[in-house]
Amino acid sequence: MKPAPFDYYAPSTIEEACGLLAEAGGGATILAGGQTLMPLLALRMSQPFLLVDINRIAALKGISRSAGSTRIGPITRQNEAIADATLGSAQPLLVTAVKHVGHHQTRNRGTIGGSIALGEPAAELPATAVALGASVEVRSAKRGKRRIAAEELYLGPYATALEFDELVTDIHVPEWPTGTRWMFRELAQRPGDFALVGLTGAITVQDGKVSRAGLAWFGMGPTPIKARQAEAALLGQSLDQLDHAAIAELAVADTAPFDDHHATSEYRRTVGRRMFARALRETLEAKA
Amino acid sequence: MNQPETRTDRYIGKRQARSEDLRLLTGRGVYTDDVSLPGMLQVAFHRSPVARGLIRSIDTSAARELPGVFAVLTAQDLERYQPNMLSFFLAPPVVPVPLLAVDRVCYVGDPVAMVIAQDRYIAEDAAGLITVEYEEEAPVVTLDDARQGPLVHPGTESNVAAATGADELDPDLEELLNSAPHLEVIEMKHQRISQSPMEPRGVVAAPQGSGEMTVYLSCQGPQLAARWFSQAFDLPQTTFRVISKDVGGSFGLKGQPWREETAVVAAALILGRPLKWIEDRLENLTSANQAREQDMKLRVAFDLEGNLIASHADYGINNGAYPHGADSNIAVMMFLWAAHKLQAFNFSAKGWFSNTVGLGAYRGPWALESLAREVLLDRAARKLKIDPIELRRKTLITRADQPTMTPMGLALEDISPAECLEELLKKVDVAAFRIEQAEARKQGRYLGLGFATYIEPTAGTAGVIVLISESCHIRIEPTGKVSAVVSTHSQGHGTQTTMAQVIAERLGVPFEDVTVYEDDSSRGGYGSGAYGSRQAVAGGGACIRAADLMADKIRAIAAHVFEARPEDVFIRGGRVHILGAREQVYSLRDIADVAYAEPERLPEGMEAGLETQYRYCPPALTLTSAAHACVVEVDVDTGFVRILRWVSSEDVGNMINPAVVEGQVAGGLAQAIGQVLFEEVSYDARGNPTAVTYKDYMLPTIFDVPVFEYLHGASAPSQTEGGFRGVGEGGCIVGPPTLVNAIADALAPFGELKLEFPLTPPRLLELIEGRPMGRRHG
Repeated sequence: MKPAPFDYYAPSTIEEACGLLAEAGGGATILAGGQTLMPLLALRMSQPFLLVDINRIAALKGISRSAGSTRIGPITRQNEAIADATLGSAQPLLVTAVKHVGHHQTRNRGTIGGSIALGEPAAELPATAVALGASVEVRSAKRGKRRIAAEELYLGPYATALEFDELVTDIHVPEWPTGTRWMFRELAQRPGDFALVGLTGAITVQDGKVSRAGLAWFGMGPTPIKARQAEAALLGQSLDQLDHAAIAELAVADTAPFDDHHATSEYRRTVGRRMFARALRETLEAKA
Repeated sequence: MNQPETRTDRYIGKRQARSEDLRLLTGRGVYTDDVSLPGMLQVAFHRSPVARGLIRSIDTSAARELPGVFAVLTAQDLERYQPNMLSFFLAPPVVPVPLLAVDRVCYVGDPVAMVIAQDRYIAEDAAGLITVEYEEEAPVVTLDDARQGPLVHPGTESNVAAATGADELDPDLEELLNSAPHLEVIEMKHQRISQSPMEPRGVVAAPQGSGEMTVYLSCQGPQLAARWFSQAFDLPQTTFRVISKDVGGSFGLKGQPWREETAVVAAALILGRPLKWIEDRLENLTSANQAREQDMKLRVAFDLEGNLIASHADYGINNGAYPHGADSNIAVMMFLWAAHKLQAFNFSAKGWFSNTVGLGAYRGPWALESLAREVLLDRAARKLKIDPIELRRKTLITRADQPTMTPMGLALEDISPAECLEELLKKVDVAAFRIEQAEARKQGRYLGLGFATYIEPTAGTAGVIVLISESCHIRIEPTGKVSAVVSTHSQGHGTQTTMAQVIAERLGVPFEDVTVYEDDSSRGGYGSGAYGSRQAVAGGGACIRAADLMADKIRAIAAHVFEARPEDVFIRGGRVHILGAREQVYSLRDIADVAYAEPERLPEGMEAGLETQYRYCPPALTLTSAAHACVVEVDVDTGFVRILRWVSSEDVGNMINPAVVEGQVAGGLAQAIGQVLFEEVSYDARGNPTAVTYKDYMLPTIFDVPVFEYLHGASAPSQTEGGFRGVGEGGCIVGPPTLVNAIADALAPFGELKLEFPLTPPRLLELIEGRPMGRRHG
C-alpha cells in the first residue's frame, strides 16, 4: 500500500492551480483534505501522474455571508465549519450534515469542498447541497469561471459535471427564509460510516402552509437523489392536512437504491419510507 | 474498582498498572516494522488476481529492469530452500504448500513472485510490472462448491482436507433422535472472519556471516517460531534466533510463520541480505489466513421436561487452499456437550479445501460448539415452554456431579458453568426484566435477554507436542535486581506485567524490581508462547516454582552467612529480614555480593550466583467456566441492534491481575459483537474477495461495544500451581451465543432467527417483516 510515483505541486494561487490542471490534460488529481484520496493512492486505485495540493491557496479558505447567501471556501476543514458561528446561524442544516461526516479525527483534515466535489452517493454533504439548492463556482485556465448548481453536479458514483481542468473555488449556499424547518436523518451501521439510508432537507412553513421544500436522499441511488415528487406534493399543503405516509411513498419513488455489501435495495426502500414519514412528522410538528 | 492494598508486596490479585503501557502508549514500542538494519532491502509480493488456474508464463523482465530493484524471485528461484512447511502442531501438511505458486494458483492473493528492492515503493512498482499469463478455471469458493466442485488440489482424492467422526448415521442414535418426544434441529452458517490484528504480519530476516539468522517476527512466541523455522528448513535450531519484542495483536493468525514470512527467510538465505516484509492492510484482508467459515446441522432430542437424550452434529469448515493445518476442528465436537448431561452423541466433521485464503486459528477456534448449543437450547426452551435458565439447570453438569467423564472422553473434576450461572442470576433480575420487556412491547419496543454458559479448555498439554511445559529462569543480578526470562509472550496482553507480579509476590520484592524478558528465542528455554489461553496457568506456575526456589536459596544463604535458622529468614519488600532478639535486615544486593563474589561463604556445595529455573508442566487440561447475560433492544423499523447491558460471570480461578482478566474478557466480547453483527470476509462467485478494506470489512468500533460488568464469583478449586485458569479466548466463545440469544428473545414474537451470520439489519428486518429483503452483493 504505497502510492505509485507521482509529481507533486503545491501552488499558492488559484491561477497556478488551474494552470497545472490544464497542463496535465486529465492526468492530475486535486489533493484537498485527502481523507478519500490518500487511501485510494495507497491502494493504487488512483494513480495520477500529478498531484495538485490546494491546501496552500488562501483564496480557497473562509466562510462569509452576503445578501441571501453564504460563501464557503472549498478547503474549509469540516471541523472549522462546525465551529464557525456564521455558518451555524446561516446554515444550520449544513452544519448538522458536516457533523455526520466521518469521525472527529477525519474532520480535522477533511474539507467541505472535497466532500462536495467527490460525489460519493452515500455522503452527507452532496445531498445537503442538492437539498438546499447550493451551487459551486469553478474556474478553469481556458474557459474562466462558471457556476454549476449542485442539482446538476452529480452524474453517477464519484462522477461529476466538473471538467478535468476545473477547480472548485467557492461554494454558495442560499439562505432559506425564516420559518424553515430542517430535517436530517442518517442510518449508518456504525457512527461515521456512510449511510445505508440518509435524508436531508429544508421545509419552509408560512401561515401554516408549506411554501418551499428542498429534500434529498443519500445512499439511495447512484447520486444524491432530490425527492422532487415529495417536494411538489408538499408545496402549498397546510400542515394539519398532510398525509406523511403518502408523501414518503412519493419520496421513495424517486430513489434508485442498489444492493451492495452493506444492505439491499429493498431494505433501503423499506427503511427509507419509514424514515421519511417519521422525519416529516417530527420536523413539522416541532415548534419552528 | 481498585481494592486498597494493605501489604505493599502483595501483587497476585492486584490491578497492577502494566509496565508495558508507558512505552506502548508513547510510541516507543518496538514492532517488527520499527526494526531497520544496515543494507536492509524491502519485499513486495506479486499476487494472483485469479482464484483458480494454471500459470502459463511469468514475465519478470520489466520488473527486474526497474532502477532500485535488487531481485525478482519466483518459485523456481526458491527451490533450493523450499522448506517442509509444517502445521502449528509441527505436522506436515496434507498437500504440499509452496512458498510461491508453482504452475497453479489456488486463490486470489496467492503469491506468485517476490520483488526485492531498495524500498517498498519501488518494490510495489516492480510487482506491478510483472505479467503473468493464466489459464483461468472455475473456482471452488464456498463449502457447497467444495462438496460438489472440481478438485482444488489435483492429485488428491477429494476436496476433503480432514475428517473425523462417522459418515454413516448410527441406527441406534437415529432411533433415539427420531423417537424422541421433542427433536430440535438447527442449521447454521458462520461467516468467514479476518483476525484483523492492529499490526499485520511482518518479518525482518537478517542472515549473519556464520550461518546464523536473526529473524525479527510478529508472532505469538519466538521460541516456537525458531523451532518451526529450524524444523521446516531442516537447519540446526541455533541457526534461527527469533526476536519479537512488541506485537500488535494476533488472535491466532501469527501462531506459526506461513508462506510469506517463510519466503522472506528463504530469500534472505539465498541473497545473504537483510530483508523486510511488512504485510499491508490490503494483504492482511486478502492474503493472510482467515477463520471460522463453517456450517453445522445440529439435531438434539429432548424429553418433554427438557432433559437431553441424544445429539447428532454434521459439521463442515472451509479450509481454503493452504490451511495452517488441515482441520476438521474436532474440538467443536469435544466441547459441544462437554458440560452437559448427555450420553448418546455422534457427529460427522469435515474440513474442505477451496480456492480461498487458507484457514487459520482465531481466538476460540472451536467456538461454534457454544454458538450452536446455546442457540439450540434457547430455541428448544421456547418450543417446550420451559424457562431457558431452568433448561440449563436441568442439563448442565454441576459441581456436585463431578468427577465425571464425558461421552467424548473428557475427565471433568472442577468445572462450574452452572455455579457461574447462579452467580450471574444474583445480578440479573430476570423476573423484573420480563415485566419491563412486556411493557416495552406494548410501546413497540423490542427488548431481549439472552444467556449462555460454556467451558473452555485452557493450558492443555495432553498429546500436543508444541503445547507442553513452560519455563521461567530467574536471576538476581549482582545489583540486587531481579531478571526473569519466561517462555511466555505478549501480543499486547501484558504478560511482562502479570509474570512479574507473580515473581514479585512469591519472592517478596517490589514489582518495579522485576524485569521479565520474553522477546528472544536465544535467551531462554522452549515454550509455545501465547497459544491456547495457557500463559497464566503454565507460565504463572513456572514463575511461582522458580521464585520459590530462589527464595529458598536466599534464605539458605542468609541463614548460613548470618548464623540464623532458615525459618527465621524472610524476604519482604526486597529486603532480607532475620528475626531474632534484634531483627537484622539485609538487602538482596548483600546476598548477591556473597553469592557471586564470595562463594567460599556459601553453604558447602551450594552453586555460586543467584539463578534458579523451573519448567512447569500444568495438568493435562485446565478448564475455565463462565455464564454471560446480555440485554438488547432491536429497532423493528430498521433491524438495528443496540446492546444495553452485558454481564460476565466467570470462574478463571485465582486472578493474577483482574484488570488484565477483564481486558481479555472485554476484547473477546468485542470480537463476539463483531462476529454476530458486523464482520464478514466475503467472496464473489469468481472467488474475488469483496471486503478488502475496513470500509467493507466492518469491525466493531468503541461505539458498538458496551461497558461490560464482571463478576469473579464462582470459584472451584483449581489443580494448577497458583490456582490459575486461562482466560484468553472465552469472551470470543461465549459472547456470540449470548448476543444471538438476546436478539432471538427480542424478536421471538416474529419467529425464529435464520442462523446466517452476521445478523445484519437487512437480515433481521427480513424476519421482522416476514418477507424477503433481497440479497446483498458481495
